[in-house]
Amino acid sequence: MGPEELQQALAPALGDRLLGVEPFAGTAGRVRFRAEGALDLFRAVLALGFTHLSTVGGIDWVDHREVFYIAWSDDRKQYVLLSADLPADAPHIESATPVWPSANWHERETWEFVDITFDHHPDLRHLLMPDGYEFHPLLRSFKLHEPEELEVKTRHV
Amino acid sequence: MAGTASTPKPVAPVSGSDPGPELPMAGQPAVPFVEIEALRTQQFIPAAKEALTDLIAEQGQAKVIRPVFNWAGRNSLFPLHWGLACCAIEFAAAFGARWDAERFGVVPRSSPRQCDLMIVNGTVTWKVAHKLITLYEQMPEPKWVIAMGNCATGGGPFRTAYSVVPGVDKLVPVDVYIAGCPPRPEAMLDGILRLEQLIRDRKE
Repeated sequence: MGPEELQQALAPALGDRLLGVEPFAGTAGRVRFRAEGALDLFRAVLALGFTHLSTVGGIDWVDHREVFYIAWSDDRKQYVLLSADLPADAPHIESATPVWPSANWHERETWEFVDITFDHHPDLRHLLMPDGYEFHPLLRSFKLHEPEELEVKTRHV
Repeated sequence: MAGTASTPKPVAPVSGSDPGPELPMAGQPAVPFVEIEALRTQQFIPAAKEALTDLIAEQGQAKVIRPVFNWAGRNSLFPLHWGLACCAIEFAAAFGARWDAERFGVVPRSSPRQCDLMIVNGTVTWKVAHKLITLYEQMPEPKWVIAMGNCATGGGPFRTAYSVVPGVDKLVPVDVYIAGCPPRPEAMLDGILRLEQLIRDRKE
């Protein structure tokens, strides 16, 4: 399955919310989509046989943020990469947990590290950091703290 | 009160299922037990009691009893059997056959309620910090803490990281620091022996 096939298969379900499919090494293609069409896209991709959501992640590009999903199809032996650009101010996207339950912890981690909110997530709280941790450490704006400063801010844990 | 020391019997030739000559320990004791008991109750215990009473009256109770407790405590340290990071591998090796930390009376126990020593062997993250404090508080007094390795001592290479406690002494009082990344089992044994020195000199 190549980018053209992927485009033809996904276009009916998404319409103009599908921004394009480009070749990406090692995958069936990189699907760029608008955040509003997230849940429809996930369902369409699952219907194509990509049953295993391998990972969810986020990137802070300073002027905007990107959220990406990598899904694997056991039948096709292929990955597919889905990515959407989000505004830098209050980025949020629909949660993929209704389609792929394994998105749960990945989305918690993405929220915790790059501050992308996943709407209708069943349990959006800290995964790797203690409760009450105030930072999103993988943002570009995050500065490494002096140990004493960090200690004061997280003392209540 | 000389006993009747039995002379060893002549060795019989071993043949078939013959168990052989009787072992010397299996015979009658050189001094009959009744005589030992009488000696203990009538002479030794009153004399020791009198000497101890005199000593306590002269030097005070704490000064006399404390070394006994210190001696007992330092020779039966029970560290908590847990591991946080790669130092736990060296921790495990120190209790294995080659280094055999048990010869110093150090036996890991799996429940903090049976422990008096916490060896923090690895990187302490903020996520695990309150669990570490809970375990420490569950340990009965008196208790000691050894910070094993650079991470537990001061955060190590992760000192400025966003998720790592820069030294476990921010959370619990530490008695002995062991340097190394990770420390070899010899270094860990050295740390335990230094802790035993601390306990030996404990005044209160």
